Amino acid sequence: MHDLTDKALMLKVKSGDLDKLGLLYERHKKRLFGFFYNLGNNPSISEDLVQNVFVRMMKYRSSYTGEGSFTAWMFRMARNINYDHHQKVAKFRINSGVTPEEVKMEVEGLSDRLDKEENTRILNKALAKLSHGEREVLVLSKYRELKFREIGEILGCSEGAAKVRVHRALKELKRTFLELEIV
Amino acid sequence: MDKEQFEIQAMEYLSGAMTDERKSDFETFIGKHPSFKIELQELQDTLEMIKAMDAPEPSAKMDTVFFSALSEELDRKKARRSDSGLLKYLWPVQKPQWVFGVIVLCLGLAIGYLLNNQNSAEPIEVVTQDDETESMRQKLVLTLLEQPSANQRLQGVSEANKIGQADEIVIRALLQTLNNDSNVNVRLAAIESLTNYVDRPEVRQGLVQSIPNQESPILQITLANLMVALQEKASVEPFKELLKEKKLDTMVKKKLQNSIESII
Repeated sequence: MHDLTDKALMLKVKSGDLDKLGLLYERHKKRLFGFFYNLGNNPSISEDLVQNVFVRMMKYRSSYTGEGSFTAWMFRMARNINYDHHQKVAKFRINSGVTPEEVKMEVEGLSDRLDKEENTRILNKALAKLSHGEREVLVLSKYRELKFREIGEILGCSEGAAKVRVHRALKELKRTFLELEIV
Repeated sequence: MDKEQFEIQAMEYLSGAMTDERKSDFETFIGKHPSFKIELQELQDTLEMIKAMDAPEPSAKMDTVFFSALSEELDRKKARRSDSGLLKYLWPVQKPQWVFGVIVLCLGLAIGYLLNNQNSAEPIEVVTQDDETESMRQKLVLTLLEQPSANQRLQGVSEANKIGQADEIVIRALLQTLNNDSNVNVRLAAIESLTNYVDRPEVRQGLVQSIPNQESPILQITLANLMVALQEKASVEPFKELLKEKKLDTMVKKKLQNSIESII
């Protein structure tokens, strides 16, 4: 069990050793939480969505083949869960609560804090103005360990297309950020 | 180089995925085209901004909800397995006996219903002796915890949760279950039940002493979470001892190190 890869752990979960899902949860909970949070969900909803990812992993464990990257498989699931959640919210007009820009971050140093808070506020506003697809591709590109091949796998496109999408979303974000900064 | 080629190569360059040769070719190209150089710099700045994007820490409640859901799923899985085993064993062999049993039960119910209608007796007042019920329940817990079936031992622990104030014998039995039970779910349930009594010193001491006895990662993580919540300084030494174990999972190792830091 020592140093088992994610793939090996998930294959163990598939074969009935559900205990191992606890280890996968410990490894990925923060990243998934950050993914949902940076996509604009409030902390409490982000936590619920992280739970849903693992519930879905448990439910569909038999369909896991071990092919491709585990992280890509997990994020694909997370992406679908986020999509389903927003569909439901739109349908029932549920108020999703506080958006990240309204959540106060704790940063040290007064002037640093003000600068960083201002930048974070504009960045979150700019991100919120982007299309859902652009925002999603940018949040995924934040994770160093995700290769473009895996981002392509998650989004269902080729590696080259993933690079182009990240590039264009970055340019759009920069443009929106500058616009908001001037205002 | 056309626009799309530049878009692809710029991303490869920024993510450090280029070979040395391609990197130097790209840098030469950038050097000759100032507009692309500016665009690359802007992309890099924006990418840095995205990478520095913060997210708060998820709350401890998320862990509690996840691990209790996982433990419930494990219980359900066990229960399903033992139920289907029992049915498979009983059903084909004793089909006539089952039918006969059902007929007798229906007859009994019908007779009972008729008799009950005939003498519509006055309702009997049942006076519940709380103390007596509690002591019966404690005995039930002790008996169930000694059963060979893990399901029955789990039932024992869940009965223990219903006791308002468990006495020393029940606490000792729960601690013994936590240390010696062969089943991980029963151990987990015992921890959950003992958390009702963490204000009692002997329970806290018992929980700390059980740390070196746990080999399952889930139990190790659950105990670590509990000790952080309790801020139990006495648990630091046993966790350090546990960290010396060579077989310890790396995730558990990280979790224990974090827990030790939070406790200190």
